[in-house]
Amino acid sequence: MFDLALHFLIFIIAGSVAFVLLPLLIGQFVRPDSPTPEKVATYECGEPTIGSSYVQFDIRFYVVALLFIIFDVEVAFFFPWATIFGGATQLADPRLSDAARMNLTDRLFDLLPGTTTQETMLSASDALQMAWTGFGDILVFFAVLMVGFAYVWKRGDLDWVRSLIQEKKNAREAASKASA
Amino acid sequence: MTPVLAASTLTDWIDAQGISWLPEWGPVVLAAVVHVILLLTFFGLPAGIFIWAERKVSARIQDRLGPTRVGGRFGWLQSLADGVKLLQKEDLAPADSDKFLFRLAPYIVIVAAFCAFMFLPFSNGWTAVAMDCGLFVALAVLSLEVLGVVIAGYSSGSKWSLFGGMREAAQMVSYEVPLGLTAVIPVVVAGTMNLNDIGNMQQGMIWNWFVFQNPFTFLAFFVFFVATLASNKRAPFDLAEAESELVAGFITEYSGFRWSLFFLGEYAAMFFVSALGVVLFLGGWWTGIAPLDNWFVSIGESCWMGDYIVRVIGMKIFLVKSAILVCVQIWVRWTLPRLRIDQVMTTCLKYLVPIACFLFLGVVLYPLILVTVLGRTTLLPGSGVAMGERVPVPVVEAHDFHPEPGDVAAETVAAPQEEEH
Repeated sequence: MFDLALHFLIFIIAGSVAFVLLPLLIGQFVRPDSPTPEKVATYECGEPTIGSSYVQFDIRFYVVALLFIIFDVEVAFFFPWATIFGGATQLADPRLSDAARMNLTDRLFDLLPGTTTQETMLSASDALQMAWTGFGDILVFFAVLMVGFAYVWKRGDLDWVRSLIQEKKNAREAASKASA
Repeated sequence: MTPVLAASTLTDWIDAQGISWLPEWGPVVLAAVVHVILLLTFFGLPAGIFIWAERKVSARIQDRLGPTRVGGRFGWLQSLADGVKLLQKEDLAPADSDKFLFRLAPYIVIVAAFCAFMFLPFSNGWTAVAMDCGLFVALAVLSLEVLGVVIAGYSSGSKWSLFGGMREAAQMVSYEVPLGLTAVIPVVVAGTMNLNDIGNMQQGMIWNWFVFQNPFTFLAFFVFFVATLASNKRAPFDLAEAESELVAGFITEYSGFRWSLFFLGEYAAMFFVSALGVVLFLGGWWTGIAPLDNWFVSIGESCWMGDYIVRVIGMKIFLVKSAILVCVQIWVRWTLPRLRIDQVMTTCLKYLVPIACFLFLGVVLYPLILVTVLGRTTLLPGSGVAMGERVPVPVVEAHDFHPEPGDVAAETVAAPQEEEH
């Protein structure tokens, strides 16, 4: 962990110094610096700028962003699951040699290399059972997500251009239903 | 899993030299510095070459000549000349912009792309930080790049930039999903997230590459490729720039060297995702011709410094494969017209996400059903083809590793040292 943190630190420093800071510092000595009001004006195709640039606009991807958070958390959980599942399916192959089986068992149960012996190694049938159990787990996990995805799709939140006519029609129907 | 760190093997190698004046933390820092120096070249050089290649390829596709003058033939020094020119340009920040964020954005783009490189194995064992969750961290770090783009768009104080930044945000949050899902697929096959192990498991003939492992991984590679195009905001998904509608999108207000940094970051990220695709699907640093690979390895075992030479050859193969993928990205950009933003979102949410989900389930079920029905995890019979046989056995444990003469790992570790001189 210290190794990783140190690498991040040195990479961030080296990357920002070598690619950004240093060239900009060198540029300081050779480039002109004479801003005029026209130069620092916001570009709007040559016309004078109208109003502030921080305009309000429809964040149409709000629901998509929510969907992304769920999906991405889900995918983040897939990765550790996939390592275990992958190891289990590899072990489920009855053709494996004993050496490979011991290596895979070590990896699967997070043991030091060479811990597993021929007696303690995972058999193909046990591994297959483990893989099927893992598949069942991920199916439940995945199904919950897919139901949500289908709901969002059905609701029309995935459409970037919403059908305004349809929305108005729905609203009118709802209003007429409420009044009746 | 217990970390078996290649980085700490370089650390241990320096440690084992018995340099008395080094402090306790010296070897770790020294190893990190060596990695930074090596990767600075691998970050900057390919980016410059690909910027030139993009101009040359696009020119040829459009029946033009492209750069021809700088550096003699083919204008191969064009990127450098552009860099020198851009250094002399005025460094402007618009009056309406948020100056601090405006200046910060290029740093984030560059640093995020650069940090992702430390997880990339360039050849067998040649990676700065060889973690067991390398793929996961690499994807996480790379996706920070979008933050720089969004900040650039927001802080510019221009409507064009704001729209560009927001489009990029919308696009990224949707394309991360198929990208992540298809990156899980090789992990399901390999049973590890260690990029070095994933690369080594694809040794042998070309059908050992994960892209040819089963029908689902084959399709997954193409979904992965499309998702990486979108995540790098490459055409046909370059809605964040979209020069025909948004002037230049999020970089409208940037000028001079700061402007060029976004391109440096983009081309470096292009190279990175291509390299990631090569490691995950296209056999990494192996040629795909088993006799040739075995011949290289036998040379490596027979002569002095052989391991180092073999790894250099592996790196060349790896770089060539990645460069080909980058060229495909360039080719796609100059062939397909840009999509509309609603088409981009539809492509992702209504096509790529369901396809990726289907492929994920398929790749999970494929070996399970085969082993239940046929009694083996592959379609082909024979014991040599079982995936489990290809899983590398960890050679050393990081903290009790003592290199000895002729030790493979020690030779590997010596290699970056050679390059440094």
